[in-house]
Amino acid sequence: MFPRKLHRTITAAAAVTALATLAACAAPGESTGGTADATGPIKIANVNAQSGQLSPLGKWENKGVKLAIDAANKAGGINGRQIQLDLFDNQGDPTVGTNLARKIASEGYIAMLGTSESAVTLAMAPILKDAKIPNITSGQSPKLAALKSPFLFLNAPTSVTYDETLAKYLVDTKGYKKIALITNNGTYGAGERDAFLASLKTRGITPLGDEVVTPDQKDFSASLTTIRQQEPEVLFIGAEEVESGLIAKQARELGLKAVFAGGAPMGTEPYLTTAGQENAEGSVVSSPYLSNDTDDASRTFAAAYQTAFGEEAEVHGAKAYDGARILVEALKQTGGEGGQKLADAIRATKLDGLLGDFAYDESGVGIHATQIGLVTSGKLVPQTAS
Amino acid sequence: MKRLVVPLLAIAAWLLPYGLDPYAIHVVDVAIIFALLGIGLGLVMGVAGQINLAQVAFFGIGAYTCAILTTRAGLGFWVAAALAVLAAVAIGLVVSIPALRVQSHYLGIVTLGLALAFINWTTNAALAGKSEGISDLPVPPLFGVDLSSEYLFYYVEIVVFAIALAFALFVVRSPLGRRMRAMRDDSLAAGALGAEIPLLRITAFVLSGLYGGVAGVLYAGLIRYIAPETFSIANMFLLLAMVIIGGRQSIVGCVIGAVALSLIREVLVDFSVYAQLGYGTVVVLMVVFAPTGLAGLPVRLRARLRGRTGGDRRGPAELRPFTPYGEAPSGDPTGVVLEIRAVGMRFKGLRALDDVSLEVGAGEIRGVVGPNGSGKTTLFNIISGFYTASSGRVVLRGTDVTGAAPYRLAQLGVARTFQNLRLFGDLTVRENVLVALDRTRTSWIWRYVALPWTVVRQDRALSAQADELLDRYGLTDFAGARPQSLPYGIQRRIEIARAMAMSPRLLLLDEPAAGLNGEEVRLLGEMVRSLRDSGVTVVIIEHNMGLVMSLCDQVTVLSSGRVIADGPPAAVAVVPEVIEAYLGDSTYMSHESQDTTSRDATSQDTTSQDTTEAAR
Repeated sequence: MFPRKLHRTITAAAAVTALATLAACAAPGESTGGTADATGPIKIANVNAQSGQLSPLGKWENKGVKLAIDAANKAGGINGRQIQLDLFDNQGDPTVGTNLARKIASEGYIAMLGTSESAVTLAMAPILKDAKIPNITSGQSPKLAALKSPFLFLNAPTSVTYDETLAKYLVDTKGYKKIALITNNGTYGAGERDAFLASLKTRGITPLGDEVVTPDQKDFSASLTTIRQQEPEVLFIGAEEVESGLIAKQARELGLKAVFAGGAPMGTEPYLTTAGQENAEGSVVSSPYLSNDTDDASRTFAAAYQTAFGEEAEVHGAKAYDGARILVEALKQTGGEGGQKLADAIRATKLDGLLGDFAYDESGVGIHATQIGLVTSGKLVPQTAS
Repeated sequence: MKRLVVPLLAIAAWLLPYGLDPYAIHVVDVAIIFALLGIGLGLVMGVAGQINLAQVAFFGIGAYTCAILTTRAGLGFWVAAALAVLAAVAIGLVVSIPALRVQSHYLGIVTLGLALAFINWTTNAALAGKSEGISDLPVPPLFGVDLSSEYLFYYVEIVVFAIALAFALFVVRSPLGRRMRAMRDDSLAAGALGAEIPLLRITAFVLSGLYGGVAGVLYAGLIRYIAPETFSIANMFLLLAMVIIGGRQSIVGCVIGAVALSLIREVLVDFSVYAQLGYGTVVVLMVVFAPTGLAGLPVRLRARLRGRTGGDRRGPAELRPFTPYGEAPSGDPTGVVLEIRAVGMRFKGLRALDDVSLEVGAGEIRGVVGPNGSGKTTLFNIISGFYTASSGRVVLRGTDVTGAAPYRLAQLGVARTFQNLRLFGDLTVRENVLVALDRTRTSWIWRYVALPWTVVRQDRALSAQADELLDRYGLTDFAGARPQSLPYGIQRRIEIARAMAMSPRLLLLDEPAAGLNGEEVRLLGEMVRSLRDSGVTVVIIEHNMGLVMSLCDQVTVLSSGRVIADGPPAAVAVVPEVIEAYLGDSTYMSHESQDTTSRDATSQDTTSQDTTEAAR
């Protein structure tokens, strides 16, 4: 009994050792890796939240991307190869994002468009950088630019640009001094708050009030009552579309007279509908994409968007559309090749897009200015900044 | 065959990365982290029965502490990792404090609150990077091995995981795990057997914090970026689903559930709206149709199959005769073992006991009789520490023990049985006895980490004692059975065996003859006499007057919470008040009585109007 048991143990040990030696010859995973085919369709991944709180953003982005890629495919693709666009849902969760980064890397995708959540993009960036997959994101957190990843590009300005332009208009042009803030503590709201406060600081202005709410809050009367007592001339709102609208509506109901100011969400349809035209009137918006009616390019885009999806285009779709077009241009330069070559091509691409003239710097930011618009009779009217 | 499982699994785990692409290995790495979390949750919820919705917060605390200490304080990864695990354990300790006072859904709310508070803190505190999280965590250094490769990180994870799993299995199968399971099944009975309930609950949460912290550290090292969304309530639900689907009472089940759901989540990543719906449906179906989860399925299927083919193939199990104990080695210790001094007990307006005094001498068999609702069980509950008397004192061998916790009284040598049986349903008969045999204090648990082999040695010794005890009570054939599957008479005997396993000096028997037939009652009488002869003082509540008259040295009669007679059986039976009290309340059937320890033990029924033969 005993010797047999011993014998079995020795055999097992020997087997393990043999396997270990065998295994030691090659560490796993060295040779594998997603190698893209030179034939067949060019695979592009669109990663966005399709479920969860931020899924509306993800859906808009996906429509913008789809529009651009479909147009490119209709025009013959890249060197005769079609672009295959696949949508992945990150659920707004960074962990899922990292899983997806590995997935697209191993399944031969050569570029990625999205995400609209900066936190997810931040989580994915190191993996995509290692896999040499260029990513044109819709996030606008300054942290994205701070990464200085050679494979990460933004399809819009960072929050800093939005708020610098806004502060410049409000303080330098209009001469407002009494300013209060209300922002949410989500990624977007917190970024807006930090950037706007920084812009005010350089102008020597201390805000009268600085209220922070949560992204899923619906009643803001407590914060707004505090702000009303401070009698600001301007109320800066840093929140997503619907929440901004709710804040504007409730502020007016409480008798707050201040001018509303904020970033891109406040130029959108959901904001105007939620706030009500009367309440939204006069809102100052800093956005790279003011309306579907600014020039021929935006009118063409809006018309195509309307035909394809049966709804009105808005800024997120426009951003994603620009990003996708840049990618298509760059792919034409590389002839469908990915990797470092594609990243270089994207950096070199100069595009006259819906959001402005793209010219990428080393931090991956392509647009360095926004425009100021005023909500006038339910429409965003561009202001020629002084 | 079984011996081969571990080496085979080890080889499979070793070779696994060779067959996986970088994406698959990442998924596996994440799945292992969830498996660790699942083990932690399985220990606290499945084994110890403590609802814990803060597991995801323990996970987050581990990850965030590690991230903050490496990026902000500039500590090395492993130093930060050690501190992070300590932090998670400390938070586990803090969470366990409410568990000492509240249980079940209240505990759920408390722990859920903690999880939400944690998310709020991470999204608002500048230290935690707010909603953008903390990026650029360092790659953990390991003697020049590049752990930024997820293949190599896998090996680190798998080693940690193997150790963690082995430790969890060891804990569950050891005396500590047995006590936790006993506490889960019936914390009152476990307390009466000497399990220090508060300390056990703390231990459970500390273990859960430990596993959460370790998982958090591995997450920080693997993803090297953390943001609040990862630790959201949605992920807590996912974790809960993993444990419930896997089978929360089995550690291996928790691991299987965690790995399976992680993989399914990846497959369903493009349909995540339906995925959430799917998890919800599966959890509901599992809870309704397979409460023991995947791990419990083989057992259930086997049981179903056996039920269909009609009975088991083993030889007929039988209750063998009881082997009497020898006479007490030393001369009868004299003196008073138990003294009740003017004890009163009120439940709101109801006076259950009023100025009850009695003395039980060493080596005595004392009967306590009285109509239903006369306060007998209330008196037992006070003696064994379940209730604290509203007035009066309880003195045990000269020590005032009024208001002492059940486990403390158990340690002082008080054992009891329950009117309507409180055996641990999910433990085998053998384990029921083992819980009582284990007289070590829970504070002994440091040995589980420092000297695990002494635990094994001790467990082996307990095991031998259990065999001996089961043999003495003729229960050997039922050692592996669940108590519920056994006839009532056998369950009664198991409860006495379990109480005697504590080697008590005072044994309280609450209606031990209830539901027994004539022959069984006779055997019971012999057994109790033998117990007394071995040096145990016995107090017995009983309605079977034949048994009381033949067995007891002294009888105390209670009526409406007062002592109306006290003395030798023959003398008591002729006291007019006793006859009056019993007039109209005679041949008691114990099945009429309700839960002993619940407050309605005193609520009254005014049932049959027969006269009692025995009382005359």
